[in-house]
Amino acid sequence: MSHEHPDHPQYVVAHLHRALAEDPRTAEQGVRVTIRGTDVYLTGEVASAARRDALTTVVQEQLPGVTVHNDVHVVDSRDPGTSVEELR
Amino acid sequence: MRIAAVGDVHLAEDARGHLRPALEHLHEHADVLLLAGDLTRHGTVDEARVVADEFGDLPVPVVGVLGNHDYHSDAEDEITELLRDRGIVVLEGESVVLDVDGARLGVAGTKGFGGGFAGKCASAFGEPEMKKFAGHTVELADRFRGAVAELDGADVRLALLHYSPISDTLRGEPAEIYPFLGSYLLGEPIDEFHLDLAVHGHAHAGCERGTTPGGVRVRNVAQPVIRTAYAVYRFEN
Repeated sequence: MSHEHPDHPQYVVAHLHRALAEDPRTAEQGVRVTIRGTDVYLTGEVASAARRDALTTVVQEQLPGVTVHNDVHVVDSRDPGTSVEELR
Repeated sequence: MRIAAVGDVHLAEDARGHLRPALEHLHEHADVLLLAGDLTRHGTVDEARVVADEFGDLPVPVVGVLGNHDYHSDAEDEITELLRDRGIVVLEGESVVLDVDGARLGVAGTKGFGGGFAGKCASAFGEPEMKKFAGHTVELADRFRGAVAELDGADVRLALLHYSPISDTLRGEPAEIYPFLGSYLLGEPIDEFHLDLAVHGHAHAGCERGTTPGGVRVRNVAQPVIRTAYAVYRFEN
């Protein structure tokens, strides 16, 4: 890719952050990106499994050949049961 | 009075029906539902239809504000109209007073905007782009103050925002991006009028609980923060 900075992974992280926010397939601003060597780790929360998988697709397009560890969690939409905060 | 709230649900066709099972039982847990913006993913009218189907025709009143994602496709007016047609109250610099559980609940709402917090914030100075950025928050906060002032007389008075009015509930986010997550200008009217609670979203990596400088409780109800379909807060009538 055109944004390879092997000695400066901070630029690669910044570029991936922008790609994940601006690519309409992901549009995710809250996903954290960590690079260790040739491995990319993704963490955060998204609303569906399809959106989690799209993150991997976009990262692999941006950085062909890297291993993507997609640890993003699909947000829990169960009702809160009896959990209530009392405000007095 | 039991108040349910959630933000940042980011609905689209692929998430249709995810929340509805929990919402079918909402009236057992809450008397009103507040939506703290970022209801859609890309701000399209098609996504807003999913929002309307998910939150429409519920057994309790639903009051919402839009978030930055809901503005992404320049369709915020159509989205607002569509949601209102389905019975959802959408506020932008406006207020509503509802009869809830035998009491009057007042809600003042705005999307809000960024700029940062006291001593570390943007100013309307320099390039036109900077003036526009800082000025947008000033404009929204002024209208929000007017809406808050209209709540006088309600038994419980709430602020409903997308961007945060304080930095407490941003803990967990990188400090460098706080100016994109909220503004103290949104907190000032909350303290001036001593509201009972403020809820917001937007900060997915923040934390749920904080207080304004004046001691008003603030809750970040972004769904990735509360990790449930909605959070519930109860006030004694």
